[in-house]
Amino acid sequence: MSDHLSQSAIPTEPRRHGLRAWVRARLTRPLLALLAFVLIAPLVPYAAMYAERGNVPNPGTALWNEVRQRTGPIDADTQVRGVESNVLINQVGERWREFRSKMLVPAGAWLLLGTLAFLALFRTLRGTIPLEGGRSGQLVPRFSVNQRVVHWFAAILFVFLAVTGLVLLYGRFVLIPLLGPEGFSATAAAAKEGHNLFGPIFPFAVLAMLVLFARGNGFRWIDVKWFFKAGGLLKGHPASSGYYNGGQKSWFWMVLLFGIAISVSGLILDFGVFGQGREVMALAHVVHGGVAVVFIAASLGHIYIGTIGMEGAFESMSHGYVDANWAREHHDLWLAEMEAAGMVGVEPNALEEVKRHDNIDFKGFGSPGTKAVEG
Amino acid sequence: MFLEFVEGPLWYFSVVVFVVGVLWRLVDVFRQPSRTDLSAARAGGVAGALRTIVTRSWTAKGFSRGATFHLVAGYMFHIGLFVLLIFAAPHVKFIEERILGFGWTPAPHWVFMVASDLAFAGILLLWLRRLMHPVMRKISTFDDHAAAILTFVVMLTGCLALLKSHDSLRAIHMLTVCLLMIYFPFSRLMHAFTFPISRAYTGAAMARKGVNA
Repeated sequence: MSDHLSQSAIPTEPRRHGLRAWVRARLTRPLLALLAFVLIAPLVPYAAMYAERGNVPNPGTALWNEVRQRTGPIDADTQVRGVESNVLINQVGERWREFRSKMLVPAGAWLLLGTLAFLALFRTLRGTIPLEGGRSGQLVPRFSVNQRVVHWFAAILFVFLAVTGLVLLYGRFVLIPLLGPEGFSATAAAAKEGHNLFGPIFPFAVLAMLVLFARGNGFRWIDVKWFFKAGGLLKGHPASSGYYNGGQKSWFWMVLLFGIAISVSGLILDFGVFGQGREVMALAHVVHGGVAVVFIAASLGHIYIGTIGMEGAFESMSHGYVDANWAREHHDLWLAEMEAAGMVGVEPNALEEVKRHDNIDFKGFGSPGTKAVEG
Repeated sequence: MFLEFVEGPLWYFSVVVFVVGVLWRLVDVFRQPSRTDLSAARAGGVAGALRTIVTRSWTAKGFSRGATFHLVAGYMFHIGLFVLLIFAAPHVKFIEERILGFGWTPAPHWVFMVASDLAFAGILLLWLRRLMHPVMRKISTFDDHAAAILTFVVMLTGCLALLKSHDSLRAIHMLTVCLLMIYFPFSRLMHAFTFPISRAYTGAAMARKGVNA
């Protein structure tokens, strides 16, 4: 009883205080748990990714992936109408820049310098390949006027485009130390204009080369033998060939294939008004630059062997005639056909030369047929 | 400094030499004595002169096969050069500012490119043909080669200076232009002015004789 009384005597909390306590006692923990859940739950995927990948991605990654359009199709929209006007940051341009500076420039330099070094070494070891039998004094007509005009037309264009192209590719490294920034700037500006203006003519030169030089440039079994004998470049190992040898045929097809690749890619770069975007332009530049460097390197060999590398070779493209001994040592099968056709030991008479070249009918290994000896 | 000299005193000197030289050559042509034709004219000379000026613009029958190269390359070069000279935007501006005081609508860039490609390809092909063809080589003189090379260099320097970003490139182009203008009256480049006179003289003489030339 006394206990009961004593308990009743204890002042009790007001009713509202009881509610607060009840709320505090019953709801605080769940609310805190809910709050923790709301705060922590969004982090769970990141935690999971962290656990999987070992790092936490920048929350802005998704945004910048969208801006840089790294993934998926481009779905950005803009009021500006134009090629790639909805591209904020071009990804291809960066990859192209990386390729140009880290692959094309150094690899191209090594290839070109390596080719020059190889030619220098070859010249040191072999020297000018002489006419073993000396000059016979008998002339054999080899290239017509039209063939020589087209050859030099293509050659002049090629050298001009090669030099201006190399200025654009390597001028920063080679010319700035020599000419200074201002001098290089003027040279590069001139090279760029010249390259872009002369470039569109080159496809027509390649086409003309195809028309005038295709005949006789098909590969035959004898060309394989020629390659196995290193083209007769080594002393004491002559190699038979017809009107064109394996090396000349390889060069012809190289000119044709590289010429087409470099012309198509060059026109894409030169006339950027047909809707091609940066991606196409970058790809065209990769093809253009890569093929051009290989083309130039191969041309160094052609130029060397056609000028100072071999006695008597240049005359075929300068005057159209070669010495009979030159033909015997380098194109023996062709010479045999020319002898059969009565075309060896002709007089270099101007009018007769024109007549003869107009009548040349290339057959067999490319030598003139009997039609040529009329008159 | 160099550009100022080339576009100043040298330019004016070149213009004087060009104008006086061309006039002197033309007056000289017209002052050449001609034999009096005592026979009765069979047809009017004027009609023959005008006809020949036109008909000599293409090759006569019988010569077409051998002259196709010259015809095509010749027109490529001359039409291309004409468009470059008269309608290239920098030339129109130069003519307006320095010569006539008025200009005209220049050709768009793609026309300029086509014209320059035609001109460059044409002059290269013609000059190489001159070097490679045995007959052409024999009848060619120093003047033929000098005129071709100088014209090519003028065109080339002009195209290299197209970006208009460097005075040095412009100065080199103007220098070659001045050299060409000084050389012009004393060379076979005079055919630019004398070709109609030559054709008209031949056409009129042949027409009076009753020859369809």
